[in-house]
Amino acid sequence: MTVNFRQLSIMTFMSFIALKFLALPSLLYTVSGDMSWLVALVLMIIDGIYAVIIVDLIKKNQKKNVYDFMKSILGPFFAKLILIVLLIKFAIVIANILKGLEFFVVENFYTELNWIVFIAPLIGVISFMIYKGVRNIARVFEMVFIAIIIGLIYIALKSFAGVDLLMFIPFFEFGVQPLFESAYVHLSWFGSASFLIMLFGCVDFKNAKKFNLIRYIFYAIGIVQLLYIVFYGLFDMTSPTHSFALSDVSQYYGGRVAVNELSWLVVSLWVVAQAIQCAMYGFCFVKAVMYIFNIKNSIVPILILDAYMLSWVIAGKNTIKLERFFFSDFASIITIISQYIIPLILLFGYLIKRSRQKRKHKVVKNEEIKVNI
Amino acid sequence: MKVDAVKTMKEIEEKLHFSGDLKTRTVQFFGVDVCLCYIADITDNMLLNETLIDPMLKFQGEQDGDIVEVLKNEVLSNQEVEEFERLQNAIDKLLAGNTLILVNNSDKILGCDMEKITVRAVAEPPTSVVIKGPREGFNESLKYNLALIRRRAKSDDLVVKTFELGELTKTQISVVYFNSVADKKVVKEVLRRLKNIKIDGVVDSHYLVSYLQKNPNSLFKQVGDAEKPDILVGKMLEGRVGVLVDGSPIALTVPFLLVEDLQNSDDYYSQPIRVTFIRILRLVGVIVAVLLPGVYVALEKYHYKIIPIEFLVTIMNTTQGIPFSPFIELLFVVLLFEILYEANLRMPQYFGMAMSIVGALILGETAINAGLVSPPAVMIVALSGITFYIIPSQAAQFSILRLLALVIGASIGLYGVLLFCVFLISYLSSFDSYDTPYLAPTTPFIKSDQKDLYRRDTIKDMIKRPLSVANNRKNLKRRDKNDG
Repeated sequence: MTVNFRQLSIMTFMSFIALKFLALPSLLYTVSGDMSWLVALVLMIIDGIYAVIIVDLIKKNQKKNVYDFMKSILGPFFAKLILIVLLIKFAIVIANILKGLEFFVVENFYTELNWIVFIAPLIGVISFMIYKGVRNIARVFEMVFIAIIIGLIYIALKSFAGVDLLMFIPFFEFGVQPLFESAYVHLSWFGSASFLIMLFGCVDFKNAKKFNLIRYIFYAIGIVQLLYIVFYGLFDMTSPTHSFALSDVSQYYGGRVAVNELSWLVVSLWVVAQAIQCAMYGFCFVKAVMYIFNIKNSIVPILILDAYMLSWVIAGKNTIKLERFFFSDFASIITIISQYIIPLILLFGYLIKRSRQKRKHKVVKNEEIKVNI
Repeated sequence: MKVDAVKTMKEIEEKLHFSGDLKTRTVQFFGVDVCLCYIADITDNMLLNETLIDPMLKFQGEQDGDIVEVLKNEVLSNQEVEEFERLQNAIDKLLAGNTLILVNNSDKILGCDMEKITVRAVAEPPTSVVIKGPREGFNESLKYNLALIRRRAKSDDLVVKTFELGELTKTQISVVYFNSVADKKVVKEVLRRLKNIKIDGVVDSHYLVSYLQKNPNSLFKQVGDAEKPDILVGKMLEGRVGVLVDGSPIALTVPFLLVEDLQNSDDYYSQPIRVTFIRILRLVGVIVAVLLPGVYVALEKYHYKIIPIEFLVTIMNTTQGIPFSPFIELLFVVLLFEILYEANLRMPQYFGMAMSIVGALILGETAINAGLVSPPAVMIVALSGITFYIIPSQAAQFSILRLLALVIGASIGLYGVLLFCVFLISYLSSFDSYDTPYLAPTTPFIKSDQKDLYRRDTIKDMIKRPLSVANNRKNLKRRDKNDG
């Protein structure tokens, strides 16, 4: 079951904007202040470069799944080791999405929420989508993504009149050190291209134009930057207190946050986008489990994912230490490895293997020529 | 083996259990007994007299060889004359309106098609009414329906494959398609599925639906239908395959896309800009029809702070004193609406108007006045109910979905309704009908097919056949770009 190149590009787009509009803008501001948008910009560009690299590798190895590909260049042990690291990364991202979604839903939709009511239908829908395969997830993304783009742009433009652009200058008021620190601390919110690694063997490159992927990455960066500028321009020093960027920006009205001004339609679309996003990372999680434990059927890995999500929402959210561990240092290290080191290992591994094959091919050819002579 | 005409006639009578409408007559022809067998009610008497009995009685020629050959070549002026060697084949034809001619001491039985076709006049089907455009619809005769198609497609490319289905009904089924346009795989698959059907009877085309679709238990329809020849030919021009059943005025078409029901034959006879507007309206109508009651209950029960304050005050004022919860109230009105609809549909037409008055005015008004339901609840359900019929062919599905959305909205709120939408999209995305994705050309997105999706370009701009439908990819061009 494959996705086409447009669907892959949309999935990348959605992954790039996934975690960016909830708590992240306010968290970034606490460390890097007015220049937080630059941190997001640079990290997203790096993510974009990695996305292009990974997609290129997928294109060159279309018939191999991720495990076969890694096994062919690193051997089975290292292939599984990398899959374990990726599995942890996906688990972190899923927890991150769930956490954001949970608070977002509580904040905007309910005064009180039974957690079972929150997680049970979500698990049901996600499990169904994963069971139906990556193509199904991609198609759902394709259905809703235009509405999401329009919604986000609408929110940004609606509040743009209140933005004070002068607050962004002078640039680098506190130097570049806070920017590096902020980038490191919040790395787990980025690394949006790592899911692509699990799509080896799942992409149909017929009529594919590489420029399309780059275009969608630019769209994602553009929309995120637009919303960040609006967010910081509206809230400036008070940014750290606005932990739901999307709803707070949409509620901003005449210099205050008015409850009834919330763009419910856009907020609803965001919930939909997050649910599908969770399904996408859930798919990656399930695939990783399948490859690590050599499981052919996806039902057991889906049940493992369900148990993980259930335990995270019901038990994990109360364990502050575990949560901190998950969302700070540990997550940053895992993100650095999964997003920035693993793709490079795969790239260089592939290049070395290819050059070896070429050399071997040359030697064989030379020998054939000698024999002929 | 030589036929003993009288004995064979008796045999036929026995096989048909001495059926009252089986008529026989023995005529002397050159001194030989010639027995005629026919089913009275389905045989055209005038045709029988004019083309068979009269010519036989008045024949003045000489017997030149076998009597059967003389009858066939010199006497019978009927167009369709068949020879049978097996009695069962002859009986099958007899039951289809043929008159059998049994000649004593001959080794063949002759059959002449004398079927009396009694059909409803060609009329406009009630579910495919157009303001401008052709008004003729299919009727219950397969022959007439095929003739209507032939009249619109006078091409040697049009293929009609006819065979019988149903062990007891022996119903004629025709599969129609354009040879150069339809995908061979789809044609093969349709024929395979139809020929594998083992059923005692096919009384309507809908009997075949579950055999033609991949997920027969699904709520959503996976086989299209057409009640008019212009619609069927239009669909065939895009690569679809049609299935017609004798006795049914509805032709089935595959592959089927969900967006097909958003489109109407009227769309192609009207101005493109208006059509685009109407199609968007239909889409909004679908969303309103399915989600409005669910969203209303969710808002009233869980998220009242979302509702603008003026509107909230109005709702509060009108719902005050209602003894039921918003969910029960809405459920009551929805079920009432469904009952009224069902009763209205089956009632004689002259009762219909009275029913509408009793249902809508008296029942609704009284329920509101009695304080059982609130005016917003009635309004919401009525709005949702009316929008159903923007796409009448999907109304049955919508009513189930509306009920589901209502239950989910009442139990989990807006979050549940949103997840329900995601599930619905995901479920529909997982479908395909004969290698055609159900939600195409929205997903997978097919750029060229957007010309006839929500917006409609002029016919002149639609240069290629749609890629969403499985068709013969080598023959996609409808015309050359520079022509016209």
